[in-house]
Amino acid sequence: MSQQVAIRFRQVAISCLIAALALHAPARTRPHYGGTLRVEVEGDPWQRPGGLARHLVLDGLTAMSPDGTAHPALAVEWKSENEDHRWQFRLRPGVHFHDGTPLNSSVAVASLTAICGAACPWTALHAVGSSVVFTSDSPLPNLPQLLAGDNYLIALTGAGNIAATPGSVGTGTFQFTSYSNGVLMLAANDNCWQGRPFPDAIEIHAHRSIHDQWLDLNVGRADIVEVPAEQLRQAHEQRLTILASPPDSLLALTVSDSGALANPNLRASIALSIDRGALFNVIFQKQGEITASLLPAELTGYSFLFSADRDLNKAHELRGGVTPPPVTITADGGSAMQLAAQRIVLNLRDAGFNAQIATGGLSQHIDLTLRRLPLESNQPQSALESIFRSAGLPIPVLEQSPAGLYKVEREVLDSHMLIPLLYLPRAYAVSSRVRDLRLGPDGTPQLAGASVEDAP
Amino acid sequence: MKLLCLLAVVASALFAQQASASSSQWDQPAAALAEQIAAILGPGQTHLTIRNNSKISTDEIPTIRRALEEALKAHGVQASGAESANTIRITLSENLRERLWVAEIIEGNETRLAMISVEPGTVHTEASTSEITLHKQPVFTTTEPVLAALEIAESYIVIEPEEIAILAHSAGRWQEQSRVGIGQKKPLTRDPRGIIAPAPDGQGFIASVAGMACSGSLQQAPPPETWSVHCHESDDPWLLTPPQPAGIDSATTETSRAKPIRAFYNASRDHFTGVVTPSLGADFPPFYSAALIPRADGPGLLINGTDGRVQLLDTSQLKSITGTRDWGSDFAALNSGCATGTQIIVSGSGEALADSLRAYEIPAQEAIPASASLAMDGAVTALWTAPDGKSIFAVVRKPASPGHADPYEVDHVTASCN
Repeated sequence: MSQQVAIRFRQVAISCLIAALALHAPARTRPHYGGTLRVEVEGDPWQRPGGLARHLVLDGLTAMSPDGTAHPALAVEWKSENEDHRWQFRLRPGVHFHDGTPLNSSVAVASLTAICGAACPWTALHAVGSSVVFTSDSPLPNLPQLLAGDNYLIALTGAGNIAATPGSVGTGTFQFTSYSNGVLMLAANDNCWQGRPFPDAIEIHAHRSIHDQWLDLNVGRADIVEVPAEQLRQAHEQRLTILASPPDSLLALTVSDSGALANPNLRASIALSIDRGALFNVIFQKQGEITASLLPAELTGYSFLFSADRDLNKAHELRGGVTPPPVTITADGGSAMQLAAQRIVLNLRDAGFNAQIATGGLSQHIDLTLRRLPLESNQPQSALESIFRSAGLPIPVLEQSPAGLYKVEREVLDSHMLIPLLYLPRAYAVSSRVRDLRLGPDGTPQLAGASVEDAP
Repeated sequence: MKLLCLLAVVASALFAQQASASSSQWDQPAAALAEQIAAILGPGQTHLTIRNNSKISTDEIPTIRRALEEALKAHGVQASGAESANTIRITLSENLRERLWVAEIIEGNETRLAMISVEPGTVHTEASTSEITLHKQPVFTTTEPVLAALEIAESYIVIEPEEIAILAHSAGRWQEQSRVGIGQKKPLTRDPRGIIAPAPDGQGFIASVAGMACSGSLQQAPPPETWSVHCHESDDPWLLTPPQPAGIDSATTETSRAKPIRAFYNASRDHFTGVVTPSLGADFPPFYSAALIPRADGPGLLINGTDGRVQLLDTSQLKSITGTRDWGSDFAALNSGCATGTQIIVSGSGEALADSLRAYEIPAQEAIPASASLAMDGAVTALWTAPDGKSIFAVVRKPASPGHADPYEVDHVTASCN
């Protein structure tokens, strides 16, 4: 009895303590300035595309708004002429690079030329007064969206760059301080045209395994760490505070139309033999969405028209009883991608293909590549174009209506050179020090808008 | 019996009216889709199925089916039983921007498609049931962040981070008439703020943004009337409370009535330093928001510190207010006339994707909710009391979506007594 009383007393005491804490809990405040955000990543934060630090240090002529449209960044306005064959972007006045060099059209042209050289999607680029003028032999209807991407960020070329990291002097909210021993240090750009960011500094630890990242988060050595889609469930079970994007990349197989799979029926057979459900349930732990369309349903509304069902009978039928030459498959990315590739090999063997993981020899022909293709926009037209671009299919998307987009998607998917499998989210775990962190349209954390709770 | 018959007649009339109104909503898309289907299929009999993959209520499906069947019939396509050789499989789908109706027309092994876009429907909001009810009325929307705004002399003066926009009412809405650069020489901050108030002479306005002070007056001659706006660098304290706060006259002391309270602003960190003028006899911590609320022995100054503590200056002593855990950083006083007369309208403490406003009263040292939360459908970025003290204005940054061309909305918020 006395034990019950003691337990009851302890319960009441704890309740009172919680109530007292709640009564005196401070109200939420506007974000504080100051502090250092500590971020850990598995890859290289400066790599292109997708390096976390690139959009912090460098700005594009345009930026992608959360709704997927291009909005002004270093360019304040733009117009197209001659049916999208000529584009003129007027630069924002008064913008300076981190070293104090003023941004002008010549500098912007030099930067863009240095980025892509002869491989640029435009034919010519000129500085005209305070404007940058693009001309192209073929129409570029989505040029403003394209320029918001990682590939076309404006960096100061030539002198003034940190030798170890060329192209690291930009106009962004943070400036490069150092990058050594796998730690990239960024400092707030007090004179940024977008306004000073809230944190004083960002410290990005590169090449950290997910295991080490989570360990550092748990012991308070990191504030923002990565959570791969396949480990989201585990992260939830560990009660990590998770920030996950909607599906932001497409897991897809790109299929070579030469070599063993030159026959379109064999490619169609491969598309029908893949068990998306197994990839979703087993490898990616039920995160994301199964898809047989390139664009997710939220963007189009018509994705149900593409069947994601496995049909081994039809796959065998399409193969026509012929045993094709060995089919090689490779995967871009980490362990989950490798596991997914192995699972696909098993699926293909079920359908009668002699499939194997590529051994990595330089001369080896690769028939199938498992990739994560970023969905760079929430606008279906530019999202579809970005998927094609990432998959190495330079197909311009001139259609805007759902019926027109469906037609483009259907034509590409009927060629079976690109086989959509899953949409996957991007996710991060954050410490309690971090507030107001949002993920951008491409799933990257918007560190400039976040703040540190215990900043002075 | 007569009463029952009358009720039945009224009910059936209402039902018929409702059915008719509901049907008309779908007639146009049904006709457009039917036209496409008929162009593919030609006249004849077909089996029609409808699948709903959208947020359209299932109650609406029979109405949509009727509209489609009638529209198809008008083109000579008769929806019949499952034994028909042809099938039309209609899917009511949607994406982030619009509804999409897709018809799969199946003839033997061949499937052809018809597809139409349908305008998105309206969003219904729930009515509040608490004692005091807050209402919001959108005033105008804009692409630029709004720091503060003031309606004066048939114009809206809108303070933006870098410019002052002047709006005039035209064609049933507020439209931009002109804009003037504020001319800051220092870079902008991340969380810029500003205030605007009527000029003491009532003929214009005064405004403050980080490091700058502006004033404007209406130039009446020569016609047409135009606003003359001047800005200059200034570290002068910002006007924190209007010269004569409406609604608390009876409790206002001579000192506060004569001298409005001003506070120095930290232009690089976007908060008030804690130094106010004239001195109120207490040391304030740095704070984000302040409001005067009536107390038994005169108005008390309520502040929201940068550390999240809400404190009230009451009889020259700063006292912590409890019950503010759900408060955000912004609040404004509202003299609704309900309950004790004045409430504090507070933004929510969430991470601002779906912010809300709620009225509180502070009879002693505890904030007590006085209304239900009013959903603001976005993040509240600024909040201030209207010059008459009887309403407040809120700036809401709407979440990005394809339908929202202007992400910033200025809302007029009023309270009604239940």
